[in-house]
Amino acid sequence: MSSTLDEARRLRVLLDLNILDTATEERFDRITRMAARLFDVPMAFLSLVDADRLWFKSQVGFPFSETPADKTICSQVIRQDEMVVVNDAIHDARFADCPYVTGFPQVRFYAGMPIAYDGAYIGTFCLVDSVARAFDEEERALLRDLATMVANEVSAGALRAAQERQRRSDASVRALLEHLPDSVLLIDDAGVVVSCNPAAERLFGRAAASLHGQPAAVLLGVPESGLAPSPGAPLRFETRLVRPGGELAVEAALSAVEIDGRPHRVASIHDVTAHQAALEAGRAAEQLRRSYFRTATHELRTPMASILGFSELLTKRDYERDMARELLDIIHKQSTRLLSLINQMLDLARLEAGGPDEAIRALVSPLALASAAVEETVPAARKGDVSVDCGAAVPLVSANPGRVQQALGYVLDNALRYSKPGAPVSIVISASARDGRRGVGIAVRDAGIGMTPDQQAQMFDAFYRAGERPDVEGHGLGLRLVREIVLAHDGATDVMSLRGVGTTVTVWLPAGDAS
Amino acid sequence: MKHRILVVDDQPDLRLLIRLSLRQLGDVSQAESAEQALAMMAVDRPDLMVLDVWLGNGQSGVELCRTLRMDPRNDKLGIILLSANGQQSDIAAGLAAGADDYIVKPFSPEGLVAAASRLLAR
Repeated sequence: MSSTLDEARRLRVLLDLNILDTATEERFDRITRMAARLFDVPMAFLSLVDADRLWFKSQVGFPFSETPADKTICSQVIRQDEMVVVNDAIHDARFADCPYVTGFPQVRFYAGMPIAYDGAYIGTFCLVDSVARAFDEEERALLRDLATMVANEVSAGALRAAQERQRRSDASVRALLEHLPDSVLLIDDAGVVVSCNPAAERLFGRAAASLHGQPAAVLLGVPESGLAPSPGAPLRFETRLVRPGGELAVEAALSAVEIDGRPHRVASIHDVTAHQAALEAGRAAEQLRRSYFRTATHELRTPMASILGFSELLTKRDYERDMARELLDIIHKQSTRLLSLINQMLDLARLEAGGPDEAIRALVSPLALASAAVEETVPAARKGDVSVDCGAAVPLVSANPGRVQQALGYVLDNALRYSKPGAPVSIVISASARDGRRGVGIAVRDAGIGMTPDQQAQMFDAFYRAGERPDVEGHGLGLRLVREIVLAHDGATDVMSLRGVGTTVTVWLPAGDAS
Repeated sequence: MKHRILVVDDQPDLRLLIRLSLRQLGDVSQAESAEQALAMMAVDRPDLMVLDVWLGNGQSGVELCRTLRMDPRNDKLGIILLSANGQQSDIAAGLAAGADDYIVKPFSPEGLVAAASRLLAR
């Protein structure tokens, strides 16, 4: 029986089939032709019943591609569950007034079988003649078979279309997975990898074939019990992957899915090694900054404690003349120390900030710079310990003379501080190429206490002082300044040191002249 | 009876400053390291210790303070920590280690005398 519900379902099924207004197809035409010949009728067709029209997917001898659905026999057939046979329409009360009966093509005989697909009757497969005729049981059975063949073709077409859609959808999913930078593993209910994308091959450094069949827990370096997401809630965790190229830090998300009725898990893995390294570097820099600030606070306030403390005692209490002088000496010594520290800290800040004064460059002779540094730095009592040798063909350097002289001064100062009076300190200047660039090496060699590898690693850190020797003056900023100054000149600082043998610090500067 | 005060600081100038400042309160002896301080404590228990937080060579006055407080024989010992680092967290860490007072460098000798007197009068 007909109903609005049936009508709506039929229209939806037709829409899903995507068959209306499509080209003729041989697979249907073959059956229609066969029917016309077998039954010896002038007209046979497959009509599909749209909302308000009949549309003919295949037809023989019927001159229309579509007709209004109103008052057609077909549109009534689809409301029956069975075959409709009209032996002589003009004498059949149901159809006598149909326009195709009263007028062209003067239908007399009609046999139609409803075609069902997906629970709805979508059209009919019909035989039509303009003369009345009988239709026996055998003919009915034959028409039923032909109609079944038509219905099978409708199903087959729909299946092919669905397969095509699936193929396209698979291709899209494959493209997504293949170009996803994150790694994806499909893990079966035994905890074994059954599928993966190319990013996973790269991440684990092995081909898909050798990933398949591997226990996911082993690959991810977590216990199997740690790979149990609850349905609908991805399990997120961080882990480290051990692989031939070294360890990687990754973030993984594990989701529960069901495939063919069996529980599976999808692991999505994101490499965070570089991100973590950047965070770690940031933390280390922050730590260094904080440590510099704490040490600077201590180094600035300690001399102030002597200066303020002793001056308060001198103003509020009475001391013998000698004692008072001793206290004043301390105040003077600590003030000098404080001033030199302030100057070094400001120098360091200026060098790091850059600025016009730091950009000053002049063509100068390395020998002149070294000689000036000796003159300025070495106390009269130790002048005899220091020698300067300059090799042949030493190029000029383009330098901020004040800064480079200051840097050499700090290196010399260190050499003298950490060696005994009388021990030789030699300065050797020579032409030297570095990384294919011409330049000058200024090596300051002492026969002092030398440094352990550990001490060498820290010697350029701010406020570092080898062995924390209270008897050796200094703030631990000198070598840090040397490195900053040399770097600002596009040069390099090298250190060679052996505990108990001595230290050689070489300041290398690029040649400043074009020759 | 004269009070006994022990100054522990790695810097000779600071030791002199504290000794001169506190001389009026009693006998002031000095140590330049944690080991030396502990060795001196074993011989003669002072009433008050003025202890620098940065003792050099990686030694911490806060650690020494904590060690001393674990020994019940030091229950009556007054401890003043001296440090150039005077942030809230530094002071809190010092007091948590068992110090009775925390004085930030630079300091006024008169202020140190006042703090020391308070502790010695307990």
